[in-house]
Amino acid sequence: MVTKTEDTQLNRLENQVDNGGGGAWEYLCLIKKLKVRRPEKVLKYGLSILNDSKKRSSLGPEEWTLYEQVSIAAMDCQCLDVAKDCIKVLQKKFPESKRVARLEAILLEAKGSWTEAEKAYTSLLEDNPIDQLIHKRRIAIAKAQGDISGAIELLNKYLEIFMADHDAWRELADIYVSLQMYKQAAFCYEEVILAQPTVPLYHLAYADVLYTLGGLENLQTAKKYYASTIDLTGGKNTRALFGICLCTSAIAQLSKGRNKDEKESSELHSLAVTALEKDYKKTAPGKLPLLTAALKSLKIS
Amino acid sequence: MGLGFVVGVVGVVILSHAAYSTIQYRSLLKITEEEFSGPPMNVVVELLLGLVLCMWAALTVPGNFLSIKPDTDENRMVSLPGNLDFMIFNHRGKVFSSEMDMKLKI
Repeated sequence: MVTKTEDTQLNRLENQVDNGGGGAWEYLCLIKKLKVRRPEKVLKYGLSILNDSKKRSSLGPEEWTLYEQVSIAAMDCQCLDVAKDCIKVLQKKFPESKRVARLEAILLEAKGSWTEAEKAYTSLLEDNPIDQLIHKRRIAIAKAQGDISGAIELLNKYLEIFMADHDAWRELADIYVSLQMYKQAAFCYEEVILAQPTVPLYHLAYADVLYTLGGLENLQTAKKYYASTIDLTGGKNTRALFGICLCTSAIAQLSKGRNKDEKESSELHSLAVTALEKDYKKTAPGKLPLLTAALKSLKIS
Repeated sequence: MGLGFVVGVVGVVILSHAAYSTIQYRSLLKITEEEFSGPPMNVVVELLLGLVLCMWAALTVPGNFLSIKPDTDENRMVSLPGNLDFMIFNHRGKVFSSEMDMKLKI
């Protein structure tokens, strides 16, 4: 999870490293810790460390994880030669390792030789049938080939075994959203929220899906989840504030004539509007008229 | 850190001195055969001083307090990590591959 502090720290380090201020190793460590995807930077700065034998030996045992990190980044940039060289070094150091074998299979994937990669994964699974990462790679192969329904099938099978894997639930939700299967996506997000109830971004995603589904009941639930996002972020999530406004106007439109709890909802709406206006005044005063116009058009409809 | 630690040690020493003086006072009472009505003033002062010093040291020495509110900067999530276990490689990065020409020196 990337918190606000870590985000600013990452940006600061990125700036510092890009301007030649040093700290490349800390930057790479932070990237690995936060699990963000910055393949070009990892490749550039990781290679500069690995090619400098003095810097490399000062890392100690961390050297090998850096090789792994750089090889995956190289595959992400399609610099397959670099990836191959890194894996060769690792292979020499750890000839029997399953982790290196997995890297080699990932390299096959990056080359696009799907059948060979699949074969390699199958043989790895024979040795250790409960290796979650390899199961996930097989799902990724299906996805990379454009076989989305196959990926969904594999993911569902995987989730029957490893139900607590919230990352997989999140992936399944993403796939369902990309296919516009919102009901299924909503179910997946429910699972994700159940596993990690304190992450506001999941609440937000769930609310978005519910709002897209439409219908009075879904809209009311969506509004509640937007409200919980605001609660968890202290009102610093603009999307959730807009979500409240949109939900309120949609609910008002649907339930014209039979407003039983209108007073409460209008109070929440006006609070959200105030927060939005305050936020815009502070960060983008030039866009304030745009915002007020948009909100006004919402209220009338 | 060093200052806090010294203060903590001083606090503990004062507390143990208070305990020692209490024991001495009790034995003095036994000799003079008086009733024990309460600890003497200097012991009370020592106890309070030791309490304050120890508390201050215990709050500062182990480190800073962490926030437990979900909406502070340390705890507020702003982005989700990339789902790297499911990363796929046939994306538009392929097109830009020629820009990078780097080699690993073995």
